[in-house]
Amino acid sequence: MLVVAEREHLPVPQAKAGVPEAWDTLFRRYQLPLYVYVFELVHDEQASLDLVQETFIAAVRHIGSLRDDAKFGSWLFGIAHQKCIQRWRKQDREDMLRAEISDEAVRSADSPDELLLRREQEDEFMQSLNQLSLPQRSVLLLHYVEEFSLEDIADITETPVGTVKSRLHYAKTALRKLMEEKYENPA
Amino acid sequence: MKTPREILLDRHRAAEPKLEAIRREVVAAEFHGPGRVSSVSPSESLKTPETGKMPVLLLIWREVIWPCRRIWTGLAAVWLLILAVNLSMRDPVSNITGKPVRSGAVMISWQTQQRWMSELLTERPMPPEADRPRNVVPGPRTESSAPTAV
Repeated sequence: MLVVAEREHLPVPQAKAGVPEAWDTLFRRYQLPLYVYVFELVHDEQASLDLVQETFIAAVRHIGSLRDDAKFGSWLFGIAHQKCIQRWRKQDREDMLRAEISDEAVRSADSPDELLLRREQEDEFMQSLNQLSLPQRSVLLLHYVEEFSLEDIADITETPVGTVKSRLHYAKTALRKLMEEKYENPA
Repeated sequence: MKTPREILLDRHRAAEPKLEAIRREVVAAEFHGPGRVSSVSPSESLKTPETGKMPVLLLIWREVIWPCRRIWTGLAAVWLLILAVNLSMRDPVSNITGKPVRSGAVMISWQTQQRWMSELLTERPMPPEADRPRNVVPGPRTESSAPTAV
């Protein structure tokens, strides 16, 4: 079963009403996870900062489109995801997002905390993560960084839940395999 | 031992000062900058949760006009074109009388129509006798010969 982040009391209604302090609180809460997600997809610091800024601006201007206040986090990540896609499209790398993986249910015991890593494994984890395909990395980051549910990840990436399940499963399997290889055959 | 989340967040802690600056910049630009949303107190915001204190005209400008500015510009151009065509096709006005100058063909057509109208109005046949309304003055109700039921 996926561990979904506990519902926080975020000042989304006040943000909708245009209270700057509410926006400040919301952005403070999400700025680092959002940056991590974007950076691990684009691997460019300046581009990631630009994308986070664009995401914040778009969020302020289009908050009216958010129907469920409890979904603010996934809505914000959805904007960032779309910004990343727009960037990839500009770079003619759209095909990287279209890797289709066969559908298979994710194992129920796979929670974000299941994988615990020692300090010496951290580099291997990051290297292995970066070897995954973009769709797999995207799903895995959303799962690890914000512990979004499968439905939320499906909303963010505009992908069917079944595809998200299979991507997450294969991403975890591939990550484990890559890490085991690195652990067994250190460079 | 760390979770992947902790590893990922720790790896990028160095970017936090830049993110703080971005956050402040966005909030300042969007809420305190020129032409942007003005600051609203939380108590006021509860009264109007959707729009806050944002002026209606500004809201319309931001939500309706600005996003579709090209379409609105196109529509305005079309209307201007229609107006220009309409003005150019108007009858020219005589400089002396101030009345519109009509061409000969138009005048003849107008006179013909006037003649037909006058013929229709003057030669209208009177309705037949049977159809005319009768001027019958009703008598008093007491003199009515109709029997009354007991």
